[in-house]
Amino acid sequence: MNYMPGTASLIEDIDKKHLVLLRDGRTLIGILRSIDQFANLVLHQTVERIHVGKKFGDIPRGIFVVRGENVVLLGEVDLDKECDQILQRVSIEEILEEQRIEQLAKQESERLKLQAVKERGLSIPKADTLDDF
Amino acid sequence: MFRFQSLDEDCTLEEEEEGQVEGDNDIDQFNDDTFGAGAVDDDWQEEHARLAQLDEGVRDLLAEGDVSSASLPPPAGSVPHPSSLPRPSASTLPPPGLEERGGGDLAESLTRLLLGSDPAIAGVGAAESDRSCFPSMSHAQGLSASLQASLLSYQQHQHILHRGPPPLPQMNSHSIWENSMGFGPVSISPGLVTHMEDSPLMSIIKEVGLPKRPPTMRAEDCLDLSERVPPPRSSSPIIGSPPVRAVPIGTPPKQPLSHAFNQQIHCPTAVHVQAPVQHRYPPPFPERLSPNTLLNIAVSCPGGNSPLCRPPFPAGVGPILSQIQRAQLLNSQMGPFPRGGPGPPPMLPGGSVGFRPFFSQPPPRLGPHPAPPNHNPIRHNTTHLHPQHRRMLTQRMQSRGDRGGRGGDRRSRDPYSNLMTQKEKDWVARIQMMQLQSTDPYLDDYYYQNYYEKMEKRLERDKDSIRKEPTTKLITPQVAKFEQTYRPVQFAGSLGKLTVSSVNNPRKMIDAVVTTRTDDEEKREKQVWNKRRQILYTVEKVYSLLLEVQDFEKKFLQTPEEQREALLDQHKTHTLQLYNSLKEKEWDDRVSDEQCLMIMSVRKGKRLMSRLLPFLPPPQAAAVLMGIARNLPGLAKKDKQDQVLCWLVEPVAIVIQSMSSSALTDLLQELQGSEGQLPRVLQNKFGVTLLYLILSEGERMQSSDPNCQLMDDNRWTELVFSVTRELLKVPSSSLSPPLFTPPNLLSLFSRYVDRQRLELLQEKLQITALSR
Repeated sequence: MNYMPGTASLIEDIDKKHLVLLRDGRTLIGILRSIDQFANLVLHQTVERIHVGKKFGDIPRGIFVVRGENVVLLGEVDLDKECDQILQRVSIEEILEEQRIEQLAKQESERLKLQAVKERGLSIPKADTLDDF
Repeated sequence: MFRFQSLDEDCTLEEEEEGQVEGDNDIDQFNDDTFGAGAVDDDWQEEHARLAQLDEGVRDLLAEGDVSSASLPPPAGSVPHPSSLPRPSASTLPPPGLEERGGGDLAESLTRLLLGSDPAIAGVGAAESDRSCFPSMSHAQGLSASLQASLLSYQQHQHILHRGPPPLPQMNSHSIWENSMGFGPVSISPGLVTHMEDSPLMSIIKEVGLPKRPPTMRAEDCLDLSERVPPPRSSSPIIGSPPVRAVPIGTPPKQPLSHAFNQQIHCPTAVHVQAPVQHRYPPPFPERLSPNTLLNIAVSCPGGNSPLCRPPFPAGVGPILSQIQRAQLLNSQMGPFPRGGPGPPPMLPGGSVGFRPFFSQPPPRLGPHPAPPNHNPIRHNTTHLHPQHRRMLTQRMQSRGDRGGRGGDRRSRDPYSNLMTQKEKDWVARIQMMQLQSTDPYLDDYYYQNYYEKMEKRLERDKDSIRKEPTTKLITPQVAKFEQTYRPVQFAGSLGKLTVSSVNNPRKMIDAVVTTRTDDEEKREKQVWNKRRQILYTVEKVYSLLLEVQDFEKKFLQTPEEQREALLDQHKTHTLQLYNSLKEKEWDDRVSDEQCLMIMSVRKGKRLMSRLLPFLPPPQAAAVLMGIARNLPGLAKKDKQDQVLCWLVEPVAIVIQSMSSSALTDLLQELQGSEGQLPRVLQNKFGVTLLYLILSEGERMQSSDPNCQLMDDNRWTELVFSVTRELLKVPSSSLSPPLFTPPNLLSLFSRYVDRQRLELLQEKLQITALSR
């Protein structure tokens, strides 16, 4: 299989449905319409999919233009396999609620951990929020 | 006023079309005789009078009824040309009214009048006028039908008459009328007003307006590619610098025209451009009106809420929308003509920008458009057709396609696919390929090349096993030096060298002059730096030599038989140079201490030395080693921070093993050197290791070869004695652990010292009896 170097390999993926994972953790699913040399993507009929546990919810977003550097990975969605999913699809409100709950729980556990660590006299340096690199 | 301005804006944006149209029609736009003073005959007054009469006559007729379309013989449309009217086909409309009234005679007379004024078409027009009259008369009612016919015939005539001057500057004259189907009474912009007087037809239009456009035409014609308006051509000369555009250089080509610009950017060898001489006539009426604007004008009038009150219809939107339409066209043309899409559109603007049925919203709901296989060529021709005519054609074709292309796959139904043209895809691919171009792959991408070779070897080995297709990259061809020389732009016929600054060749703004400061302190500091720089420079030079020598093997294997001799010679010279580099003066055969030390004072130099030693011949290597040993304390001190001397251990060990006994003795002596040197040596890891190496080598010599010359004089023995003494004396703390302890030290020491001391030594140096 011969493939093109760099971003050019995305050319074959044009007009196909893709799942794109962004650096901020969001998952977008859309049809890849256009690319450029920086792997900036134009996604059409994009849907942001939020996963919480075994449930997921889709938020329709329309057209997305994603700057290439913010993409972690992307892959083509197999339309046949997409149908039979183990995950359960729920409404948007529900999934957002679930996400909020999950966030709270995570924050809570984080807080507890920090407290426990402090009690023992140790200190964990807080990671910079903008520290992506 | 406002309207006029907006029209003007759109005007400038469509300059491209002008050029294209000209090309199509072979019209000399810029010729005075065509449009300027020379074009007007002397008897324009006479003509004006005639037309004024006509105007009155027409007005009367029209006052009685609606405007319906019948065809005025199309040649009539060319009448207004001297007065530079935009709407030749405008003439088609009022006369229809006339005709309806039963003015077949009037039409004829009109024809004759109008025809007569233009000598170029007099003959032709007359002949055809009658013909065209009849069909249109029969379709007296049915606005669109008659219009269609009229326009159709007009179109035909246009083709025929194209040798004459165009109806009006550029704008495919009929286009406006085709668009403005849905207009109500139009209040023409002031730009037009100036010429209103000249044309009775225009005045008629002003009053009566244009026929209403049938709304049903919208949906079907969304696929029409003729709606594309090419982007404005930059007015700056294309000399040296990239054309002035609002978009940055990295944007993909939008139009075939811009592709040329991109070419220029990537290949600066496109030079010798003479600035195109363009003098234009100020458009009397905004000939560059995009059909969009026209539509907006028309639509605006009745409602009073002019879209032109809003910011004018951005020309940029035009292309974008049409891109979708282009994409759809491509979709519908899936299969045999994947590239057919972009083809016609560029050609269209020249001839048929006209036909844009609607533009207010992007085509939203597009049902599947199954691909008729012969869509392409027919499409091209339909651009000049009446919208309804075209619609009928497409319907026919669709029905044909329907029967044939039912089983199209999902992708062909996706109305948004192919938004990215093949050209754009190629452009992206080309950028990626360009980045891979290299004249020396071993230099640019050493690791990949090696990896690739390994992969190939492995595949060859595993040929019999499961053959998995390797992923091979598409590598660009070895286009070696194609753009190396940049010749600056030169103007033909200019005196002297004119400087044109561009992105690639920026103009020198400041003359930077190097001034040296004669401050004493600075001088001293500089000297220090200079010395260091000198050393580093020497190191670099020797390194490059060394690398050449080291790569010799590889290169040797790669070169074909004939060139191997030459390569061998080259190799010899390199190695020779390598030796020479260590000598200070050319005639001195001895390896210079100074030079070596200088090199060794730098971390990189030490590394270099360690790599260099294997390539030196034994005597020279030995000399180097002597030098090192002699100056070890100094070196050790300098090395305290880096501790890189230990790199030397391996090559030094090899050198030692090849040394003769006398040399070895000498070396040991050097190591001990002056008073107090040995303790310092012992403090350093490398020093200790070196010492051990020497001793173990000596021991090996003694034990293996009974006739060894080591014992010939007492030097060796004495030296070993002093070493042992020192070793015993030196406190354990200042004794640095060696890199490794050679096994035969114990046997060495057992020769020379008594049992007690031996045990002490053992303990100190942690030499175990096992190592025997």
